Amino acid sequence: MAKKPSMGRQKIKIAKIEIKNHLQVTFSKRRSGLFKKASELCTLCGVEISIIVFSPAGKVFSFGHPNVDSIVDQFLSRNPPPNTTTRHLIDAHRNASVRDLNSQLTQVLNELEAEKKRSETLDHIRKLASQRKYWWEKSIDELGLNELGQLRDSMVVLKKNVTNQTDKLFVEGNVNPSPFFSANGIAMVDSAEIKPYQMNASSTPPHVQNIGYGHGFF
Amino acid sequence: MTRTKVNLAYIANDSERKSTFKRRKKGLMKKAEELSILCAVDTCAIIFSPYDPEPDVWPSPLEVQRVIAKLRNMSPLEQNRRMMDQKDFIRQQLTRLSEQMAKQQREIRHKEMTNVMFECLKGKGFEYLNMSDLNDLNNLLSQNIRAIERRIKLLEKRHNGGD
Repeated sequence: MAKKPSMGRQKIKIAKIEIKNHLQVTFSKRRSGLFKKASELCTLCGVEISIIVFSPAGKVFSFGHPNVDSIVDQFLSRNPPPNTTTRHLIDAHRNASVRDLNSQLTQVLNELEAEKKRSETLDHIRKLASQRKYWWEKSIDELGLNELGQLRDSMVVLKKNVTNQTDKLFVEGNVNPSPFFSANGIAMVDSAEIKPYQMNASSTPPHVQNIGYGHGFF
Repeated sequence: MTRTKVNLAYIANDSERKSTFKRRKKGLMKKAEELSILCAVDTCAIIFSPYDPEPDVWPSPLEVQRVIAKLRNMSPLEQNRRMMDQKDFIRQQLTRLSEQMAKQQREIRHKEMTNVMFECLKGKGFEYLNMSDLNDLNNLLSQNIRAIERRIKLLEKRHNGGD
């Protein structure tokens, strides 16, 4: 379940990319990035820009503020656009919409960043947990056959009980009590018991005794 | 360049705006050139600013005319199909971002549920979980059980295949 690491920032040679797949991916990303830079420049400095890009397949992408055609016409005719009231109204209206969209954009970017941080925090918690004394919180690649079997058995038992609880709730019609996760979404528990899962009350005693695998557990 | 976060709004200060324009214009042209070379595609950029009656262009006025001609030679449908103004482009970015957001939230849910699972394995009860949480926990357990069984098979195979 580990995420495949991306290549990160690489210094590349500015020459035609040989591998077709890489070229297409690069085109897609860079075209989008170029338009993004253009859009930002328009907003930040109040200038008018048009960018035309042909794809490797021959399709044409274009970006223009206020729009591609007016910029292209202005370039070709060397005449400035007419300075009418209508134009001013249209421009003002458009700029207001763009301002709105830009604030939405900023907001979503901030939210996304917050969620990424949350995700990193959770990764950190998991990493700390797997280094501590609970051997079963380690990555399964680090566990021996015996431990794997025990962990699997514990999980099967837990799963069965979770299913029972689900059935119970269903029958009682109690489908949605208040959700478990609090605002920061992290649930911590203080447990004195340091054994893998055991069933409640009258069930077989925990079958985790001395394993002798030397992983530094209880 | 410093990684300071830029406020996406018109820069009111004249000199700051002018220097930002010069800097970003240079960067934009560079990016256009890189795209053109890396992907071997026709590209052009035209910038009209209050600082110059003549537009800033890349690669050159003649080349720009050629690319424009290539654009205008296509059917109106093809020209407009992937034509965007700022509104269109920002909306596209917003769509992309909300997909990323949904993905991020799914990952977080998965990680939180994993924590819950380990707490339950330690002996914490789960009566406080609602139906949706319980179902997710159930699925997560199935996933993990399958992964463990795959690993067990692999180790047993290695052990047995050793002779």
